Amino acid sequence: MSNIDQTLAAARFEQGQPPASPLAAPLGKRSLLLISWLAPVAIVILWELLARAGWISPQVLPAPSKVVATAIKLTTTDSLLTDLGVSLLRAASGFAIGAGVGFTLGTLVGFSRLAEAAIDRSVQMIRAIPFLAVLPLVIVWLGVGEAEKIFLVALGVTFPIYINTTLGIRQIDPKLIELGRVQGLGRLDLIRRVILPGALPSILTGVRYALATAWLALVVAETIGAQSGIGFLAMDAREFLRTDVIVLTIVIYALIGVAADTIARWLERRLLAWHPNYGGAR
Amino acid sequence: MSGQIPSPSSPAAPAVVVSNLRRAYGSRVVIDHLNLRIERGEFVALLGESGCGKTTLLRALAGLDSIQGGRITAPRRPAVVFQEHRLLPWDSLWRNVSLGLQASDARERAAAALAEVGLGDRLDDWPRNLSGGQAQRVALARALVQQPELLLLDEPFAALDALTRIRMHELVRELVVNHRPGVLLVTHDVDEAIVLADRILVMRDGAIAFEHRKAGDAKPIERSALLAELGVLVSQAAA
Repeated sequence: MSNIDQTLAAARFEQGQPPASPLAAPLGKRSLLLISWLAPVAIVILWELLARAGWISPQVLPAPSKVVATAIKLTTTDSLLTDLGVSLLRAASGFAIGAGVGFTLGTLVGFSRLAEAAIDRSVQMIRAIPFLAVLPLVIVWLGVGEAEKIFLVALGVTFPIYINTTLGIRQIDPKLIELGRVQGLGRLDLIRRVILPGALPSILTGVRYALATAWLALVVAETIGAQSGIGFLAMDAREFLRTDVIVLTIVIYALIGVAADTIARWLERRLLAWHPNYGGAR
Repeated sequence: MSGQIPSPSSPAAPAVVVSNLRRAYGSRVVIDHLNLRIERGEFVALLGESGCGKTTLLRALAGLDSIQGGRITAPRRPAVVFQEHRLLPWDSLWRNVSLGLQASDARERAAAALAEVGLGDRLDDWPRNLSGGQAQRVALARALVQQPELLLLDEPFAALDALTRIRMHELVRELVVNHRPGVLLVTHDVDEAIVLADRILVMRDGAIAFEHRKAGDAKPIERSALLAELGVLVSQAAA
């Protein structure tokens, strides 16, 4: 969702009040929406025209039509889909491992003061390191194979999930936990019925952060010594000055990022239907 | 109590018996050798100034606070309705009512309980769509679905508006007549105590300092007399 979409959604949410800005006042919501889409389309058209007129060298930035043609060609004759699959698999396995570790540690620390004393400070110290800075070390440990890439993604995912899980569990209203005890819930039922659902909004926020870092980690990991994947495609194309392929890989990274965010939003809407800030509709 | 019909000569086991209860926070004694017995079907209101230990007593009976001396004997875990409804916002109403219910027909029983409090058509609704009074009715249903022998009410109507409170009084009276749990109502509201309770207790210095039992058709206790027990002096005309 673009910023303007969000602004429009917010405007709709406020019972159809006209936007406060005097500049926007004479325009309806519909025309604002139209403009918000027309602007990027105009930029792409301008880019296409400039490229065709030869004002932009194809070495610098190929025409959008050329990028599309390259995409079709690579999909039909080459291994674009295989590379895409390889990249997605790396992201997914790294995410699963990182989320698993982050959630487990976060749950332990959220529940137990002892676990907090034992774990939290060390985790916070490691978190202070920008996780991409450890890349050279990871390459020394694991080489430049799949393990290195998955490790890097997992590392980037662990911390946002960890922090938000801990936070979510800590923020639960103690009165609800007391109620669970009064209703005779056992420890497991208390976690299942009260604590995890209460922590879920925070955990899902962590998931959205984690998706962004997972993606960033993958781009960096694939740029170094990959034999397949979207990043490999980009670095291979660099050798031959194929800017059309490079632009294509950038677009693919962007699209997958948008798709991941959409999935996260969908999950929030579905799982947090009860929450006035997410489920919204009533 | 399997199938045994309780007769007046051999009454059913009491809902709760408290003997010599003691609770202190540090050196401050909040409950001091308190004795209390509530029969099944008996409605007891507990009044007292803020900080007199009445909420501490209720929490001890609910098993939420440890005790440091004496005994609490209750046949089963009591049900509690708090001042706040404490509904889980992520569960539908029937899931809220059946929380902690170990039964395969949990939904049916929750539905029956919700119908009893007049919300039988809202099974799958969310708590956030309820008014304050409705939410408190769901909390009542959640307590009663456990079929408690002791029902603890911790100022459950304090946050409601006056009209809603009167409706809730009617509902609670009806529910207690139908289910016959022993009830301990902790309240600040003298009139509420007079309207609802069979027996009114005033707590002072960590023990029961005053007791009044409603006897048949006898004239109810004077409001001013009760207020005097609470340390509030009003002229007869004002009362």
